[in-house]
Parts: sequence; C-alpha cells; structure tokens
Amino acid sequence: MRRDAAAILADMPPDERVLLRPLLETSRGFRVTATLLAAVTVWGVVAYYLQVRYGLGRTGLNRPGYWGIYIISFVFFIGISHAGTLISAILRVSKAEWRRSITRSAELITVLVIGFGAIQPIVDLGRPDRVLTVILHAQMLSPLLWDVISIGLYFTACTVYLYVPMLPDLALIRDSGIKYPRLYTFLAAGYRDTPAQRARLERVIGVLSIVVIPIAISVHTVIGWIFAMTLRPMWHSTIFGPYFVMGAIYSGIAAILVAMVVLRKAYGLQEYFKDIHFDYLGRLLLVFSLLWFYFTFAEYLTAFYGGEPAEMRAFWAKISGPFAVPFWTMVAGCFFVPLALMSRRSTRTPRGTFVAGIAVMVGMWLERFNIVVPTSVNPRWEIESVGRYLPSWIELSIMAATFSGFILVYMLATKFIPIVSIWEIKEGREESVHLVADRVAGYLPGHPAQPERADP
Amino acid sequence: MSPTRREFVWTAGAAGAALALTRVPDVIWTAQSDDEIAWQPGIEDRLTSTCLVCPARCGIRGRVVDGNLVEIGGNPLHPVSRGGVCPRGIAGVQTLYHPGRISSPLERVGPRGSGEWREISREEALSRVSERLGGLREEGRPEKLALVSGYCAGTMSDLWRQFLVAFGTPNRVPEEYHDGTDLVMGLMHGMRRQPGYDLENARFVLSFGAPLFESWWSPLQAYVAFSGRGTGGERPHFVQVDTRFSRTAAGAHEWVGIRPGTHAVLALGIAYVLIRDGLIDERFLDQHVSGFEDFTDQQGRRRTGYRSLVTRNYRSEEVSAVTGVSVERISSLARDFARGGAAVAVCGSDVTQSAHGLLAGLAVHSLNVLVGSVGRAGGVMFGDAPPLGSLPQPVLDATATSGLERERVGSSGVPFGEGDPSLRFARGVVDSSEPTIEALLVYYANPLASSPRPDLWEDAIDRIPFVVSFSPFLDETASLADVILPDLLSYERWQDAPVPRSHPYPVWGIARPLVEPQAGGTHTGDAILSLARSLGGSVAESLPFEGFETVLRVRARGLFVAGRGMTLGDEFGRRHHRQMEQRGWWLPEHGDFDSFWDDLVEKGGWLDLFYDETDPARISQREDGRIALMPEELLEVLEAQGRRDAMYIEVVSPGSEEAPLLLIPYRLSTLSSGTLSLERWLSELPTVLPEVFWEPWVEVNPETAHDLGLDDGDMVHVASERGRYRARLKVFPGTAAGTVCAPYRLRHPDGEGANPLQLLDDSHDPLTGLSSWFSTPIRLERA
Amino acid sequence: MTRWGMVIDLDLCTGCAACEVACKSENNIATVPPDQAMMGRSISWMKVETDLEGEFPETRAVFYPRPCMHCDNPPCIRVCPVGATYINDEGVVGQIYPRCIGCRYCANACPYIAKYFNWYGPEWSESERQHLNPDVSVRPKGVIEKCTFCHHRLQKAREEARAEGREMLEADYQPACVESCPTAAITFGDLDDPEHRVAELKEDPRAMRLMEDLGTRPKVYYLAPRE
Ligand SMILES: Nc1nc2c(c(=O)[nH]1)N[C@H]1C(S)=C(S)[C@@H](COP(=O)(O)OP(=O)(O)OC[C@H]3O[C@@H](n4cnc5c(=O)[nH]c(N)nc54)[C@H](O)[C@@H]3O)O[C@H]1N2
Ligand SMILES: Nc1nc2c(c(=O)[nH]1)N[C@H]1C(S)=C(S)[C@@H](COP(=O)(O)OP(=O)(O)OC[C@H]3O[C@@H](n4cnc5c(=O)[nH]c(N)nc54)[C@H](O)[C@@H]3O)O[C@H]1N2
Ligand code: SF4
Ligand code: SF4
Ligand code: SF4
Ligand code: SF4
Ligand code: SF4
Ligand SMILES: [Mo]
Repeated sequence: MRRDAAAILADMPPDERVLLRPLLETSRGFRVTATLLAAVTVWGVVAYYLQVRYGLGRTGLNRPGYWGIYIISFVFFIGISHAGTLISAILRVSKAEWRRSITRSAELITVLVIGFGAIQPIVDLGRPDRVLTVILHAQMLSPLLWDVISIGLYFTACTVYLYVPMLPDLALIRDSGIKYPRLYTFLAAGYRDTPAQRARLERVIGVLSIVVIPIAISVHTVIGWIFAMTLRPMWHSTIFGPYFVMGAIYSGIAAILVAMVVLRKAYGLQEYFKDIHFDYLGRLLLVFSLLWFYFTFAEYLTAFYGGEPAEMRAFWAKISGPFAVPFWTMVAGCFFVPLALMSRRSTRTPRGTFVAGIAVMVGMWLERFNIVVPTSVNPRWEIESVGRYLPSWIELSIMAATFSGFILVYMLATKFIPIVSIWEIKEGREESVHLVADRVAGYLPGHPAQPERADP
Repeated sequence: MSPTRREFVWTAGAAGAALALTRVPDVIWTAQSDDEIAWQPGIEDRLTSTCLVCPARCGIRGRVVDGNLVEIGGNPLHPVSRGGVCPRGIAGVQTLYHPGRISSPLERVGPRGSGEWREISREEALSRVSERLGGLREEGRPEKLALVSGYCAGTMSDLWRQFLVAFGTPNRVPEEYHDGTDLVMGLMHGMRRQPGYDLENARFVLSFGAPLFESWWSPLQAYVAFSGRGTGGERPHFVQVDTRFSRTAAGAHEWVGIRPGTHAVLALGIAYVLIRDGLIDERFLDQHVSGFEDFTDQQGRRRTGYRSLVTRNYRSEEVSAVTGVSVERISSLARDFARGGAAVAVCGSDVTQSAHGLLAGLAVHSLNVLVGSVGRAGGVMFGDAPPLGSLPQPVLDATATSGLERERVGSSGVPFGEGDPSLRFARGVVDSSEPTIEALLVYYANPLASSPRPDLWEDAIDRIPFVVSFSPFLDETASLADVILPDLLSYERWQDAPVPRSHPYPVWGIARPLVEPQAGGTHTGDAILSLARSLGGSVAESLPFEGFETVLRVRARGLFVAGRGMTLGDEFGRRHHRQMEQRGWWLPEHGDFDSFWDDLVEKGGWLDLFYDETDPARISQREDGRIALMPEELLEVLEAQGRRDAMYIEVVSPGSEEAPLLLIPYRLSTLSSGTLSLERWLSELPTVLPEVFWEPWVEVNPETAHDLGLDDGDMVHVASERGRYRARLKVFPGTAAGTVCAPYRLRHPDGEGANPLQLLDDSHDPLTGLSSWFSTPIRLERA
Repeated sequence: MTRWGMVIDLDLCTGCAACEVACKSENNIATVPPDQAMMGRSISWMKVETDLEGEFPETRAVFYPRPCMHCDNPPCIRVCPVGATYINDEGVVGQIYPRCIGCRYCANACPYIAKYFNWYGPEWSESERQHLNPDVSVRPKGVIEKCTFCHHRLQKAREEARAEGREMLEADYQPACVESCPTAAITFGDLDDPEHRVAELKEDPRAMRLMEDLGTRPKVYYLAPRE
C-alpha cells in the first residue's frame, strides 16, 4: 500500500507531489515534536482534572482577582482565530491573488483555535458540570451569552468555510487513492469537480467569505463588550469593541506568519510561501502595529486625561506600578519590535516576520493580561485593599496544554489535508494569470472597462 | 491544602436540588452526597442566658434548634449590653462545637507530656482525686494542695474558696484580671475595689488608655454609652488618650496620640490647667477631699499638697514636651473636661501596669476628684455588690486550722496588693528545697502558655507530683496533667455572672444550660461538691449542697429577700423601678421564691438601679471620710523607699529613651481565650484595624519600617533579652515611630506560640508588684 | 411598594465587627485556611472596610460596614448568563446557588466587590455542623454567594405574622447584622414605608450612598460621620 502510494505520488504533477507528500511521509522530527506536545497536553488535562476534583481554589484566582489566565487565554485564542477566516475572506473578496497559497493554513488555524479558545471559559467555570444551564436558563442580557451565540455561529461558519474550499483537494486525494480511501470518500462527499460543481463551489465560497466577515467582527467585539459592559475602571470603555477586533486581526496575522515560516521549513514549501508573501503580510503587520498604537494611545490617553481616581489607580498600576513590566513588554512586542522589523524591506523576510510574529503574539497575550488582571485586582473603592494575582501551576499547565494541544492538532491535520490548497494554486496557474492581466488592463485608461468576471 | 482535607465533606443545602442536570459529574463534584438536607421544621427555642466568654458578662439569647445551639444574640433586657453582643460572644457556638473538645475524663498513662491517655469514668476520676487529696489531709498536710484559677468571679470563685478553706490550704493562685485600679481606689477612697464609671450619663469621657471598645471590663457598657441608646440619643463625647491608634481611638470622637508611658503626665497637665483657670469644683474639694492644699500630717509634718505639686511641676509647655501633646490641645482638653459637669476620666490598666503604675493611676483619677465627678451621675460611682445569700460558714477541723496557718507559697512582699501571684507561686515552688506542693488543681487557667515565664511554670509543674486539670480543652497545662476532668462549656452549665464593677449598679446575670451537656463533661462546681462529699467530715459539712444549681438558688434567695431590685426588665420597667426606689418604695413582684427563680432565669438575671448619692460612704470610707489626694500610708511607704518626693512627680515610665524600639503589647478585642484561639471566625479575621488574617503580626510605623529595611508583610522575629517569637510585619501609620505594637493572644496556625508577654523584662511597679508592660526594649529581625 | 434597605450611621460604627461575625453565624459562612485567607479568599458577606488617613498622631479612621448594596439598578444581575442572580420585586438581590455556573462575571461587574466565590467547598467538622443554621443552605464549591439581607428571616417573619393573623411589623424582620450591632449603627426596614425609621434616616442631610455616580442606586445608605 505504502509503496504504491509513494509510486502514485511520484507520478503526480509537481504541485500535487510536493503538497501531498506530508500526508504520506512523517519525519522523525515530527514524531518527537508530536510526542512532546502530547505529553504537555496530557499534563494539562491532568491539571484540569485536579482543578475539577478539588475546586477552582487550585488556581491563583481570588477576590478581587476573579479572572486570570483562562480568561486571558480565551480572549487571546479567539483573537488568533481572526487569522484565518477573516483575513482569507478579506483577501478573497478583494481578489488578492497572492492569497491562494496561504488561505488554507490560515483557515485551519482559525477553526482549531476557536475550539481551543472556546473551552477556556468552561475551564474557568466553578461548576463546569452545569455548563448546559447556559442553554436551559439563557439570560439574554448577559454579554457572555452574546458570546456563546456569536462564537457558536463563528465556529460553524469557519468550519464550513474551511471545509467547502477543501472539497476539490479531498476529491483529489480520494481519486488518487494514496491514503485511507474510505475516509476521503466520505470527506469528499461526492464532489467530482465537474464544471457545474466547481461553479457552485466558487459561488458558495464567495457568499461565505462575505458572511463570515461580520460574524468574525462580532465575535471579538462581543468579547470586548464582556469587559466594557461592566463599570470597572479601564474596562468600561466604548473603544473596546473595535480595539479588540483590531487586536484580534493583528495577533491573527502574526499567527499566520509564524505558522507559515514553520510549515515552509518543515515541509519544504519555499515555492508556495514565497518571500513576496512574507513581504505582503509583513506590510499588513506593519499597518496593524501602527493601528494598534493608535488605539492603545487613544484608550490610555482618554483614561489619563479624564483623571477619574479609580481609573487612575488601574492606569498607574500598569504604567509604573506592579504591572509595569508586562505593560512595557507589551508595548515593545506589539509596537516597537514589529515597527522596527517590518518597516524595512530587508527584514520583511521569513526570518524577520517570524521574529516579529512571535513578538506580536507575546505582546498581544500580555495585552490581554494587562486588560484582565490590573482592573480585576484594583477595586473601584479605594479603601478596599488591592488584590494580587499569581497564576498557579495548574493554570500555567492548562495554558501550556492549550498551546501544545492546538499545535499538535494542527500538526496532525497537516497529515490529513494539504496545507496549501492544491486546486486554488492550480486555478491560479491556469486561469488567474490571464484574468488578472485583463483586470489590470481594465483599470487602465484607454481600455473599455472589462466586465469583472461575474461569479458564475 | 491536602486533597484529603479537601475531601472533607461539605453539605449543600437546597443547592443540591438542581444539580440533577448530570449525575455523573456529581460524583466528582461532591465528596459526600450533594443531596439537600431536607428542611425540617425543627423545634426552635430562644433561651436567655449570660455570656461567660469574658468578664463583661453580657446578656445573651441562644437560638436552639433541635437541641443544637445555632446562634447567639443579645438579650435586650440586659441593662448593660442591651441586646448588643461582641464578635466573641457570637462566635461562642464555635467554642461549644469545637472539634478539639475533650470528650471524657482522662487519666495519664504514659510519662507526662507524652500525650498518652486513658479514658476513665467520671466516678473513677473523682475518686482518683479524692484519694489523693484525702491522703494529704490524713497526713496533716492540707497546705500541700494548691489551686490555680482563672477568671471566675461569682459563685464558682466563692465555692472554691469555701472548699480550700474547709480543706485547709491557703494556696490559691488567682490568675485573674488585676488591673490595679482597685489599689488606686483603696488608697484614695479607702475602698479597695474597682471603680464604676457611669459612662452612659456622662457628657465627656476621657479615657487614659482604657481600651473601652476592645478589652475593657465591659466593652458593651462602653458601646451602649457611646451609642446613646440608653439615653434617647444623648451621646457622651469620647476622647481616647492612647499610645497607638487602637480601635478604641479610631472609634472615639477624638484621639490624643501620646508618647508611651506619659498618660499620667498628661493627666496632671490637664489638672494644671483646671487649677490655673479655676475650673475645679471648689465646693466638692472643700467638703470631700483632703490633701489638695498643703497640710500637716498626723506626725505633725508639713506636707506639700496636690495644688502646689501640680502647679509647680506641670506647666503646659513642659507637659507638652514630655507627652508630645500640644499646649493648645492640653488646654482645650481641660476646658472640655470641666465645662458642664458629668465628665469622667477612665483609668486604663495600661496606666497602672507600668513601673510607676500606682502613682500614675492616682494622677489620672485625681482629675475626677478635681471636678467633683465622684458619686454623681456621669462620674465615678461605687455601686453595691448584689445582696446574695451567703454560703454557710466553713467548718474548720484541726487539720484545716493548722493548714491555714501556714504561709502561702510565694507570698506577696509588696506594700500594696498582691502583685503577680501566679509568677510568685511558680517561683516559690521552684525555689524551695523540699516539695512545697503535692497536688495542684488547675481551673480555667493555662499558666504554661499564659504566664510571662512559662519556663518557671514548667519547672514548677515538674515538681508537683499530682496535677488535676478541669479544662475542657487539651491546652498546654492540661497536657501535663495527671487527671483531666473536663468542665462543661459555658452554654451547658449553670453559673452566676455578676457584671464587672465598672458598671455603677449591681447586676447579677445568670447563665443556664442552653443545650444538653456533653456526656463526658462534668460541671466543675458539681465536681467540687462531690469531692467534698467524698472527703467527708468538716469539708463535707462546709459544702452541704446537692449540686451547683442548688448553690445558685441559695444565693438567689438572698436577692429574693433583700427587698430591693428586680428581675431584668425593659426600659420602661427599669425606669419605673428606679423611680419607685428613689421614693423609698419597693413592691415584691413574686409571691414565692420558685416563681422568682423561674422569672430570674427567664429574664436572665437581677438588677438594682438605685444608687443613693447622698450616702457619704459611697464617696469615701477612709477614716476622715474624705478622698485622699495625698494618701498618707502611701507617703510613708514612699518615704521608706527613699522616694520622698515621688507623689505626682515620678509618674513617667522610663525606658522609651534608650530603647531602639519599645514593645507595646495589646489585647485583641476579638479573641476570647488568653491562650486558645478556638473560634475560626475570629482567628480568620481577628480585627479590621489593620486588615490581617490568622497569623500573629506586629505593627510598626512606615518610617520605622523603612529605617529597619523591612517591608509590609515580611516575617520578622520580635526579640528581647528574654526571648523571641515570629510574627508578620504590618506597616501601620497609626503606630508611633519607635514603637512596636504587638497584639497578644494569637498563635500561628500550626499552634506555634507568639506571646509578646513572654518578652517582657522584669520591670514592675515596686509598690504593687504589677509588671510593667510598656517598657521592654526589643529588636526586630527579618526571619 | 416595599423596598428593603439599610442605613448605616458611620458616626456610631466602632469597627467591632460584630456584624461580620453575626452574619457568618446566621448564614453558615465557613472560614478558609490561613494560606487561602492570605490569598484573599475569605468570605465575609458583611465586611468592615477601613478608610484610614494620616500618620501618628494625626491618624483618623472611618469604618464602613459593607454588605451587598442591593442596588435598585444592579449591574451584577444583567451580566449573569444564567440568571442565577436576580432582583425580586421588593428590591432584594438574590442568588440561586443551584443554578450558578461559577463564571464570576457578576463578581467582576459589582463595583462594590460584594460577591464572594467558593473556591473550595466549605469545611465543617462533624461537630461544627451542629451550629449550622438550618434556615440557610450551605453553599457548595464553585458558586458565588453574597449578602441576602437575611431573606430567610423575611420569609419566617411573614409566615409568623400570617399565622398570628397580623401585619408584619418593622421589628419582625431585622437581619442578623442589625440585631447584633452593639452601638445600633445599622437600621433596616422598608425605605418606602414612612413608618419605618430607614425612610426618615435616608433623608438625613448626612445620608449618602457609595459611588452614587455610577447609577447603581444602592439601597444601603450611609450617614457620613460628623466632623
Ligand atoms: N472583652 C474582654 N475584656 C477583657 C478580657 C477578655 O478576655 N475579653 N480579659 C481581661 C483581662 S484578663 C485583662 S488583663 C484585661 C487587659 O486589658 P488591658 O489591661 O486594658 O490591656 P490591653 O487591652 O492589652 O490594653 C493595653 C493598652 O495600653 C496602651 N498602652 C500602650 N503603651 C502604653 C504605655 O506606655 N503606657 C500606658 N499607660 N498604656 C499604654 C495600648 O495602646 C493598649 O490600648 O482585659 C480584661 N478584659
Ligand atoms: N499568649 C497569651 N498569654 C497571655 C495573655 C494572652 O492574651 N495571650 N493574657 C495575659 C493575661 S492579661 C492574663 S489575665 C492571663 C490569663 O491566663 P489564664 O488565666 O491562664 O487564661 P487562659 O490562657 O485564657 O486559659 C484559660 C483556660 O481555661 C480553659 N477553659 C476554657 N473554657 C473553660 C471552661 O468553660 N471551663 C473550664 N474549667 N476551663 C475552661 C481553656 O482550656 C483555657 O486554656 O494570661 C496572660 N498571658
Ligand atoms: S463582651 Fe464579653 S461577655 Fe460580652 S458578648 Fe463579648 S465576650 Fe461575651
Ligand atoms: S457591629 Fe456595628 S459598630 Fe460593630 S462594626 Fe458592625 S456596624 Fe460597626
Ligand atoms: S452591591 Fe454588587 S452584588 Fe450587590 S446588588 Fe449591587 S452590584 Fe449586585
Ligand atoms: S458566577 Fe453565577 S451568579 Fe455570577 S454571573 Fe456567573 S452564573 Fe451568574
Ligand atoms: S443583612 Fe444578613 S446577609 Fe446581609 S450582611 Fe447583614 S446579616 Fe449578612
Ligand atoms: Mo489579664
């Protein structure tokens, strides 16, 4: 079987040959990494068991530090999820042709990370056994419930949005017979890549990529509102909705970049993730670092200028108080590092974007920390004593397991689906080059405006 | 927190009901079943009693459901506490149901301190003790028996006295509340007893370090006065003179922060202004006071009077320099004190517990004399003791008579009062070459932990072959006993509970069993009676009572026949009764003693509000009928000690100058037992000022902390010449620079002691022998 | 309309904490072990907060006993995803323990931090269980709890009054903290009933509420200390 598959692969065209190889070959490095990640994940599961068994007391949470790592992880992961779907949707809608090789890997991040993000609030519950109460006794005024709905929708939409464009590739694998024929027969769901099917597929993708944008924006807006709807200092802020969405996209881009660098290296995808991709995404990252600075500055300036005593206590706690280190590390990670690296072409390389991407991810995690914790431990009433929050090993383990679990599942997924969309690449090669040439020509004076290729 | 502790069962009340969502996780979720405790309409009762947790003896009401005491609240009929309680009183349920309680009489089997015990029956325990004690009497050595007893004012104390006298031993070691004010009153008024303070009707209360809202004789008396609830909202103005920002200082209207050991200087500084500005009550001084002006004593010597001493030595600038209180503040305090009558200066035990305590106490109380606030509403009053029925005269056989003639172990040797009898006793036992004491009874005391010299007590107990403890808990002393006959807890037993004499009128509260006593416990009163019975002879004759309740009835009969007072009643009843008595009327309310007794128990006690202000014996019982500002017996002692000019001059406690840091121990108002912290609610949050949890701590000023390089929350060793202990450092701005305020009665959660009193040096007042608590230099070291 | 409320005279409060302990005894509030308390996990539905100013000898303090404010416009109840905290038609803000999922959103939404969480299950030894108040359920681990204005006392008082065929009086329903206060600093009753003392006291010129500017409309009033 194996030899057969390898032989089949060898006979395939170059795109297929390269992009399907990871489905068949597994390196030692992969195995070692997967084992390590699995170990960390199991460790985290044990930690969670202990937490369930003995109570949330096993965390470092307290009064008034009611929220900590889990809520931070929740906001962070859901933020990352804006990587894929939202960006790929925007690129699709705007017909950015360079998107073709990156959408799949990005969308996969989204779907997985929503899952890992969405379990965080459940991990955070004092009574996870009662989680279904949220449905039985839904109290619609609660922003948490808005979140349940928007995340639910988002997850569904993203899964469909990942799955539908994957159909031609799944059909290809099925037809090639290189791996688990029955599984792929099932997954490909009778897709035969007939022109009619292809046309319908493209239309569905077109609709989905529009629908998914408002949903994605709503998700992180609502998460921002979880905080903004309370009266706590430095949470009660109208900017939080857009601020969170912007931050989410920002961290999402960073996540894509990091994933691309790793995939490129691991699977030898230099031909697909080209320097130009890193250059373009790097520019996007640069734009967002500036946006991030703008939002953050606006947010802190208004808090500072108002000078409301309760706000100021949280403010100073971050600027120069006990949270100064996470705060300024965040500023460095979210602003200075990406600004420095991405504003020069010479560092908008895979390596440069990798560093910037990591910096932004760390910075954005800290941003969530700096939002959740300092306000939580600084009561509005100044005579209440200020709290302290130090995460326990249980929380850190669960956080580590969330990261490792996500990476592990992502890695395993690359063993089942081509991480670069084969048919889109092909489509790009075969059709888009002309189409784009025509389109560009159509933009120019002297040519009759080319009717856009109406979605068939 | 270990998993096993965590698995510790918890019960969900109604909470269980909706858990039915998913049954499987429930198994994980609850170590025990999560099922609802089905709510049953329990049999519920509210029973009146008296709180015995501290000397204040407030009236309480217990809520008893199905035989369990579930809540303690105040008894609104109680004239002192008026329905209020303090946190200790409320938390009493946690003492009653403390898991560490001894459940049966015990006999030691292993060597002392090994913790090996055998459960024995009550009868066995009693016969073990009576054999031993009987032996002492048979051998003609009754004085070899000693009792160390804690606070038990009232009939328990009288019963012990009766027993010891009939037995024939002079060795009773009281571990009681000696604040030294009784000695002050003894000298100035010829009545050695604690003064009563009519706080409720006062206009101005000037407290010199008396922790009125904390551990005063009766904090509830102070609270009620402060609130004005007994006087239709008229509230006295409270001024607290204190060396630290205590909770009393924080709650009072004004706080006068003062240098350690200088309370009396401030008092005399105020006296100076009163005299200078003519704010004294000349008529009162004329009629009732001696020693104000220079005078000639009985030996015909010329003596300087109070006026000259004060005007010469306490000019405001000097006082201000010593005390740290500004000149203007001194004047305004004096004016406020004198203006409009009904001002009272309260002398705290902290004034008297210093190297010059007695003289300082005199100085503070002299303020009351100057403005005539004695024997008047709103001033210092000397109320009567309740006219209780007396116990029969003890019958003394020859053995007893000879025993009683023996000298007490560790006799006093100070001119006034008894000093610290417990410490002297321990020393006496340790120092003597032959065995002085062969049997020791320990009642309501835990000297092994509470004494400033636990080492001495340990040696002493080592030399005593037979030790009996009546403690319901296995405290340090009980752990070394040979037999433990655990007492009933206060909610299970009968006891009388006279309110402290700080209250100007007699109130005789009664505590009665609220719940069925635990099977293994024995009322110590009953134990004494049955010991007496088995000793037989004159001892039995002296204590001819069936049980302790009978003794209380005998005492109450005295009230019944006294022709005065009433069982506790509401505001209206009290007022009516007082008006009647003022006009010389008294109508019996009860036909016979039994109905009187039943009513007494139901209401919670007896009181008499009538105070005859015209009776000169209530102002002074000295020979000349006057209040002595310059008591001659004291002058003579001072002269004999070579301190001729000490009166009103030597009132500053030394020590603060050379010491780098000065220890100021203080008593927490929430922890009820000296050495056992039994109530979790109180140990968890022992006070709100400062905010602390569980652990012992010490407070220092921010500047001092900075100078020492220490931070809030550091673990430190508090060390003196004597020893050291571990405590958490609390930076507290209300603490004076250079002082370390150390709450006592705390322990570390693991039981490790943290007793600042064990750091105290030996300094004491040579006149009274009371140790000086506020003059020990200490160091703080990072632990 | 009945609106239960409280007036606390700060001039009378001496910070004795009788109210705190009375509440714990009435409402079966367990202690937490030392390490937990140090982390800020002790539970005290009534908490005496201290406003401390100045250094020796100029220190001043005001004690603020702080129950739940039973806000008329409570930010805590809106955010609860399962409606486990609610306001009833007499203005009492309550908790439904069996429904609470323990997300602690309400705790974060309360500007007064009046809510407490059961990080572990409460610990009562066999013997201590005897002093539990049978009228109040013991909360399991993982849920939020807070001052209820001793609501069970209201139910009892109503039943008793009904059984005796009379109107319920002001004195019939008084929470444990109010009853225990030795200086009678706390007054409780129906803010809308002119017969009740709180109705008059809340109009006192000294009356104020905490963070009035937030619009939570607390039903706990404080009488500012006289200077
Ligand atoms: N409620 C209650 N009351 C009790 C008791 C109880 O258990 N509960 N126990 C009783 C017993 S046994 C005792 S001994 C008493 C203890 O009661 P007190 O003898 O009054 O002792 P503390 O409460 O320790 O108060 C010591 C006070 O002295 C002040 N002080 C500090 N430094 C100095 C100084 O240099 N000079 C002077 N003059 N004062 C200073 C401190 O600020 C502090 O307020 O309480 C009795 N009353
Ligand atoms: N660590 C520490 N040492 C202190 C003090 C302090 O507060 N802390 N205070 C100092 C002062 S001022 C004093 S007066 C002395 C007081 O010291 P002690 O008179 O020795 O009083 P406690 O230490 O309270 O010990 C009383 C003992 O009585 C027992 N007991 C409790 N309830 C009952 C009961 O109902 N019946 C009987 N028979 N026994 C019972 C308990 O086991 C407890 O250990 O201690 C001094 N030393
Ligand atoms: S002051 Fe003393 S007697 Fe009164 S309630 Fe408190 S502990 Fe009991
Ligand atoms: S019981 Fe009364 S005086 Fe004591 S802290 Fe509470 S409100 Fe203040
Ligand atoms: S005080 Fe807090 S918990 Fe109470 S009703 Fe208001 S917001 Fe809710
Ligand atoms: S913790 Fe409980 S009561 Fe609070 S918001 Fe969450 S579910 Fe509602
Ligand atoms: S009203 Fe009841 S529940 Fe609320 S603080 Fe007072 S005693 Fe506790
Ligand atoms: Mo004492």
